[in-house]
Amino acid sequence: MKKKLNNKIIIEVKNLTKTFNETMVLNDINFKLFEGESLAIIGASGSGKSVLLKNIIGLLSPDKGSIKINNVEMVDLKRSIKEKILLDLGITFQHGALFDSLQNWENIVFKVKNKEKLTDKDAKELALSIIKRLGLNSEILDLYPSEISGGMQKRVAIARAICGNPKVLLFDEPTSGLDPVTGSLIDKLIKSAVKTVGGSAITITHDMASVCNIADKVILIDKQTISWSGTPKEMLKSDNAQIKDFIKSTNPKLFI
Amino acid sequence: MNLINSIFKICGTTGQKFFKFLSNIGHFFIFFITAIFWIFRPPWYFKKIFYQIIDIGYFSLPVVGLTTFFSGMVLALQTYNGFSELNNETTVARVVLTSITRELGPVLTGLMVAGRIGAKMAAEIATMRVTEQIDALGTLGTRPMQYLIAPKIIASLICIPVLVLLGNTIGILGGYIIAIFKLEFNPSIYLYATVEYLQWIDIIQGTVKAAIFGLIISMVSCYFGFNATKGAEGVGYATTASVVISSVMILTSTYIITALFFG
Repeated sequence: MKKKLNNKIIIEVKNLTKTFNETMVLNDINFKLFEGESLAIIGASGSGKSVLLKNIIGLLSPDKGSIKINNVEMVDLKRSIKEKILLDLGITFQHGALFDSLQNWENIVFKVKNKEKLTDKDAKELALSIIKRLGLNSEILDLYPSEISGGMQKRVAIARAICGNPKVLLFDEPTSGLDPVTGSLIDKLIKSAVKTVGGSAITITHDMASVCNIADKVILIDKQTISWSGTPKEMLKSDNAQIKDFIKSTNPKLFI
Repeated sequence: MNLINSIFKICGTTGQKFFKFLSNIGHFFIFFITAIFWIFRPPWYFKKIFYQIIDIGYFSLPVVGLTTFFSGMVLALQTYNGFSELNNETTVARVVLTSITRELGPVLTGLMVAGRIGAKMAAEIATMRVTEQIDALGTLGTRPMQYLIAPKIIASLICIPVLVLLGNTIGILGGYIIAIFKLEFNPSIYLYATVEYLQWIDIIQGTVKAAIFGLIISMVSCYFGFNATKGAEGVGYATTASVVISSVMILTSTYIITALFFG
């Protein structure tokens, strides 16, 4: 059954172009993310997916184009206003980007603890309630990121992103490096996070099974631009050669 | 024709490097001003400042103490040998006191802290930069300059003058030990001479130097760490550059400060 989406636009990217040292990485990117929608961005490694995400969150500035979050133009926006808008976003980075010098529970509640002035005890309880949803046990809370496995670090990073129930979630390869069971758990969590808070999500992934599980809409970035977009069902039936290659190489079962 | 081309090429490369150098100085100046701005702006992360004070001040004390202690000892011995015709208590005491408080104490402390703490600061911040931790900080409602850089600068400004004062005391003690136990000077006369020649201007000048060295070490190290690129190689470069440039700036600025005080 097709999910009913609101018409409210949460993120709108228009004519976005980005170059690095005269090498064009993104050219004329246009898309909209609606409230309650889960968008998956796929594309080969080095196609500029993470660069697009970094432009959206203001870590990079586009050479041309516009990025609006909740109808506020983010390009060239005053830093203090940009920071307030970013506080309502939950973001995971490709390699986790957990703070080495902080314990895992401090990493998870970093934003919320400062914002809501929580005591250590309350903050730790909050962190515990989140990691349980991610299939982690309480023992990891007092450990440092370097003391847990890569998969666990990924889940702690996701816990940090969803802590405080942000309405917009941005995930950069959330399931890469995870076993299939944990990957599917993360998919469910992204789905439920979008559903329970009525939020929206952008997920960058290479995992086609994950795309089918979580996405309402898929866009493919190829040759610096959006070369295909559609629903996951349309994606499975698509004649686009790159989409076919992607599906075959990452999850042939989807073709059966 | 080839010669003209070569000359043009050399001029072009030199000019390019010169403008890059100027651009780097400009970037550093902007970083410096921004960091100073964030030092005075709340909220202050007192827990982080406290940890930095322990790290910079307390844990640097053994290396600073050892360095200045042996410098004081060497200075007493060399002065005694060099001024053999004037080998009395007052000459050795005065040379040890003046050298340690005006120059050796602050400079040796500065160089030791640049090696120990400057390298650590640069490596820590550079690692955070290349592993996207600084980017993540910005998206979590925390300003990296305020959370990472400001506590390090504040702690350096507090700790290095204190370290220099302690280092000076230990250095003078080293000289005293050699004077009394090896050169067999009269302890009372040596101590009296030390106290008599101790001047406020020397202490003030040493403390001013120490504060400026603290600013140099923390700013340079944080700057190179904060602007690190290219993964592990970038971390290595940031670490080396921070120690080398801090040390050169310490040695350059000590001359300028001395000239200003005693010119």
